[in-house]
Amino acid sequence: MKKTVPLLIVILGGLIFVAWAFSPHYIIQEVFYNQFYLPWVYASTGFAALLGVISLSMMHSSKIKRKAPKWQYSYFFFASFVITSLAGFIGGTQKGGLLMWMFENMQMPMSATMFSLLAFYMASAAYKAFRARSPEATVLLLAAIVVMLAQVPLGVKISKHLPTISQWILDVPNLASKRGIMLGVGLGSVATSLKILLGIERSYLGGGD
Amino acid sequence: MNIFERMQKLDRRWIYIVVALAIIIPLMIPYDSDNVTTPPTENLYQMIDSFAGREDRAILMSFYHDAATMPELFPMEVAILRHAFERKVKVFALTWYPAGAPIIDYALNSVKEEFPDIQSGVDYCNFGYKPQAFAMIMGMGDNIANTMNTDAEGRKLENLPIMKGINNYSELNLVVEFSGSVAGMTWITYARPKFGLNVATGVTAVMAADYYPYLQSGQMIGMLSGLKGAAEYEKLVDVFAAYRDPVIDYRITEDAEGNQILPGRPFGREILEDEASLDLSKITTQTLAKFTDEQYLSFSAKYPEHLALLNSLREVQDGQVVIDVTKITPEMRNEMGEFLYRELNQLTRNTLYKFKVARIGMNAQSVAHIMIILFIVIGNVGYFIQKAREVKN
Repeated sequence: MKKTVPLLIVILGGLIFVAWAFSPHYIIQEVFYNQFYLPWVYASTGFAALLGVISLSMMHSSKIKRKAPKWQYSYFFFASFVITSLAGFIGGTQKGGLLMWMFENMQMPMSATMFSLLAFYMASAAYKAFRARSPEATVLLLAAIVVMLAQVPLGVKISKHLPTISQWILDVPNLASKRGIMLGVGLGSVATSLKILLGIERSYLGGGD
Repeated sequence: MNIFERMQKLDRRWIYIVVALAIIIPLMIPYDSDNVTTPPTENLYQMIDSFAGREDRAILMSFYHDAATMPELFPMEVAILRHAFERKVKVFALTWYPAGAPIIDYALNSVKEEFPDIQSGVDYCNFGYKPQAFAMIMGMGDNIANTMNTDAEGRKLENLPIMKGINNYSELNLVVEFSGSVAGMTWITYARPKFGLNVATGVTAVMAADYYPYLQSGQMIGMLSGLKGAAEYEKLVDVFAAYRDPVIDYRITEDAEGNQILPGRPFGREILEDEASLDLSKITTQTLAKFTDEQYLSFSAKYPEHLALLNSLREVQDGQVVIDVTKITPEMRNEMGEFLYRELNQLTRNTLYKFKVARIGMNAQSVAHIMIILFIVIGNVGYFIQKAREVKN
């Protein structure tokens, strides 16, 4: 019973959405989707966000209580959460308010810095690990050099043909492999979805059976 | 330890220092470089341009990212907003991500400095953060006002002037999804086949390869890929805003009902490759307002009371009349007034830093790419020489 009811809910929900995707009937498109499903979606989203906040707060407070590794950082979570919330609720979210100021002067530069570290790791990895150890690696290395050069204005100055060659690499060998992967993923998704709908795949229920 | 072994074991901090310098120096010293535009960028530009001045057409910009990917995506968003406002294209904006809401405000506020007259609810509408992307995407296909209900300021959509003539995807006919993930696929998978919505994406460079199949199959009409895509779009916006074909009448006219009719614009590679057009998208500081003799006469005729002042600033260089705005003293500025001063500055085609940031970034990216290629080559040379020595020994 503990598993049968959830299983039935999943199967029923799945079948309804299969019907919604393939049938243009008024009952499924208007009555079910627009009049029933959408209002529930609106209503449930606020609760989902609240659940997220409660869950995160519980996790951090428990970390502080247990003095788990790096527990001190959890205070930063609470401080940031309270300050940003107050800034938004009291000062508003528009230009001129504290929230926008914090976004422009704190969140934006800090997040961008984290993302830009990628360039440093890439350069380091290119030097230390990108070796032409085999014919396949050599092809990959040459393709990478051509595409990287063609991406930038300096590369186009070196040869006007570089963008054409780069585009061919992206359009032909790159797309061939991408399509192969995507077809495989697509077929796998269909197979897994069918297995879930038919109740064959039950691992998401837990328990290992 | 010989030099090749040392090369293989080079401390990565040296690499970091070289990369940092390779990026910082070009950012601090901008130079003019030509970003060759590619078809995915040009197609998106042309589609947005085809909506110019139309009441029954609009674009939707979906800001599905947070601040981390802003260096690549934000210049694209600003460039498209500039294009849309310059060509009087209605813009709708939303985000499926709470952290994306301030980015929309920040982008709109940035562009408002260039277009101070645009109004929320009239020229653009910000839906703000909307949860449940899938439900919203499908719902907008039937009716936008019913699905979204209110804008970010809490106003009922059906009361906003921008909604006149806009019902669903038949009118809101193009969505541009900005993301650092495969989020754009939702539009392609669901909204494109069911409602015929035109989809384009602005993605970080690392994600671009994932979208190429959709671009080639025609499921996506265009794509801005990384900082390069943003730089290309910035260039197109600047070039075609300033380019004037002598045979086209660029005046904005009105029809019998008082609706503005914007003239069409020619689009072609020959315009982009023309030396004169390259001058229109320079990123170095421009201080010269240039005129032909006829242009100068008609310009100065608009300001008869300041004719003597304009003539005192007038110089002739390479057969053109030029006015160097740096030679305008504070006293002269007081005398000519802010309106004329601003118009002269506009004629220099000098672009604000925030509107050329992708092209400046591409200069840094050029140097960084060359550095990385050099690292790969040097690393491989060291590796093979060392290997050859080991075999010999």
